Amino acid sequence: MKNTKTGIWIFTGLMVLVLVFMLNISLGSVHISVQEIFEGLLFGNWERPSHEQIVLHFRLPKAVVSMIAGIGLSLSGLQMQTFFRNPLAGPFVLGISSGAGLGVAVLILAGTGLGLSAGILNTWATAFAGTLGAGSVLLLVSLVAWKVKDSMTLLIVGLMFGSAVSAVISLLSYFSGAEALKLFTVWSMGSLGSLGWSQVGILSLILLIGMIPMIFSVKAYNVMLLGEAYAQSMGINPIRLRWSMILSTGLLAGAVTAFCGPIAFIGIAVPHLARMIWKTPDHRVLFPASAVMGAVLLLLCDSVGQLPGSAQTLPINAVTSLVGAPIVVSLVLRKNFSKEF
Amino acid sequence: MKGPALIGKNLSLGYTQGKIRKEVLSGLNFSLNSGELTCLLGPNGVGKSTLVKSIMGRLEPWRGEILLNGKRIEDYPREELAREMAVVLTEPVLPAQMTVYQLVGLGRAPYTDWMGSLNNQDEEAVEEALSNTKIQYLRDQRLGEISDGQRQKALIARALAQDCDVVILDEPTAHLDLVNRYEVMYLLREIAQKEKKAILVVTHDLDIALETADRFWLMNCGTPLISGRPEDLVFSGEINELIAGGQFHFSMKRGRVEFQHPQAELEIEGPGDMVYWVQKALNKAGVKQIASPIRLVKDPFSIFYDGTSFDSLDDLIRFLLK
Repeated sequence: MKNTKTGIWIFTGLMVLVLVFMLNISLGSVHISVQEIFEGLLFGNWERPSHEQIVLHFRLPKAVVSMIAGIGLSLSGLQMQTFFRNPLAGPFVLGISSGAGLGVAVLILAGTGLGLSAGILNTWATAFAGTLGAGSVLLLVSLVAWKVKDSMTLLIVGLMFGSAVSAVISLLSYFSGAEALKLFTVWSMGSLGSLGWSQVGILSLILLIGMIPMIFSVKAYNVMLLGEAYAQSMGINPIRLRWSMILSTGLLAGAVTAFCGPIAFIGIAVPHLARMIWKTPDHRVLFPASAVMGAVLLLLCDSVGQLPGSAQTLPINAVTSLVGAPIVVSLVLRKNFSKEF
Repeated sequence: MKGPALIGKNLSLGYTQGKIRKEVLSGLNFSLNSGELTCLLGPNGVGKSTLVKSIMGRLEPWRGEILLNGKRIEDYPREELAREMAVVLTEPVLPAQMTVYQLVGLGRAPYTDWMGSLNNQDEEAVEEALSNTKIQYLRDQRLGEISDGQRQKALIARALAQDCDVVILDEPTAHLDLVNRYEVMYLLREIAQKEKKAILVVTHDLDIALETADRFWLMNCGTPLISGRPEDLVFSGEINELIAGGQFHFSMKRGRVEFQHPQAELEIEGPGDMVYWVQKALNKAGVKQIASPIRLVKDPFSIFYDGTSFDSLDDLIRFLLK
């Protein structure tokens, strides 16, 4: 009985996802109806060639990136929350986003300072710099993690690394010119729409690889709900789970941040929403549930950010917080939040 | 009664912090028998938790060894140890959304596949654990919605579902009310006897432990671990090892620790069990002497003193202290 109910919820979630996906694609400065998109995607019947261009090369990749980013961030957040047994943990507690920020800051701020033209700052370059930065900070945290015994210390170490790296970024910003500063600020607001299909392909590949260690740790995460000591007594190796978590969240959140910039809120909030809606702590349900919710929520935020009817778009990082925070606050007030965790 | 499931031989335990090595326990010898409920008692800070940690294999002994079914704890692979020994810890934080059935089901983790799905055999084990702890009626309740006593029983059920010969419980009766304390301990006793498990309970409830335990392990600073049948320890007076300082003593008659009053022997007449309580009340109130004997009548209850009759001890004490 229970399984069918969960299944129905997941199915409903997938339906909502398809709906939101279509809505997302149909919205924008040029009006294209959902019906036309359906016909165009399935049979190639476009009213105008320009519509085909817009949908296939701008809106579709952006929607897919939104989904991938939503899934990646939510799954990282869920793993972090369970591993650290902390409702405020998110994908960035191990310094991934500040690491990516540092990489991009060095590229933009220091790079332009050294006379590199702004022309080199394409998506590939920032993604590469972000990956490098996120990777090296994560590597540093991992080296410390090697020595650290309990997860709470690791959490503190991760947060400290994050602050230290943010301080370095502040210093770089302080000494850089207005033009470079603006570029970096825009990057740090996140963007889902600047990727082409080749980058989308790479991003999806990393997402799939990053999910592998997570899927094989599903039992360990469930046992970990009772805490490290219980997990050990039931034959789970917390150290192994820690490495699997670092690898998985590093790939998932690291890649998303490197390509799209830091996107706040999704990673922390979605696992909570999933727990509230599906009413279970079981990760066999929560993993797919969070993935679906994350994709839906980020697609929705992106739709809002397009300001329907106007050519302007809002930075995604601002939208996720502006739209998401009230949702979560209302849910938290309605239900007993700390009891739900 | 089977032989010992767990043996400690000349065990020394301690912690290393930087260059400082702090020895907490040394020269411990013990054996935990199958089919018996063993209670580990001792004052705070004597090293009970350290001992439990090392038995769980989370702390390697400095000297000596702990043998589980003849094999050293450290030599067990993690998964194998999880099939031999289950624990109930003091950690209070539990996911509120989890149902009792899910919690008990997690106890099957050492046996399930990589997904953690329960097969028929696992489900049977969960059912049995629920029925042994008498909490079938709680199966679909969430952990955030049940009482502390029920949660404790659910945690015990989880440990039982793990299907191990040895079960270690760290203060399972702390935070519980009196009735729940007795219920939990009698439950453990029943399980030890019925399932032929070796159960070790760390507890501070001396009176309940005396009622239920087959064996006591007494720990005190600077003395070796004392092991024996509780009643033997009462006869030998070794039970007083538990009570440091001279203020308290173990009353053999009452089966509990009592404050050593500078007993003022007051002359009280009446039924024996009543005399005890009146004596106690007067001692507590600080009544040192009385002019004439107090006479007690049970039915209807009345107290006669100095030619007056009193309805309650409260009235009498007020009169005496005036």
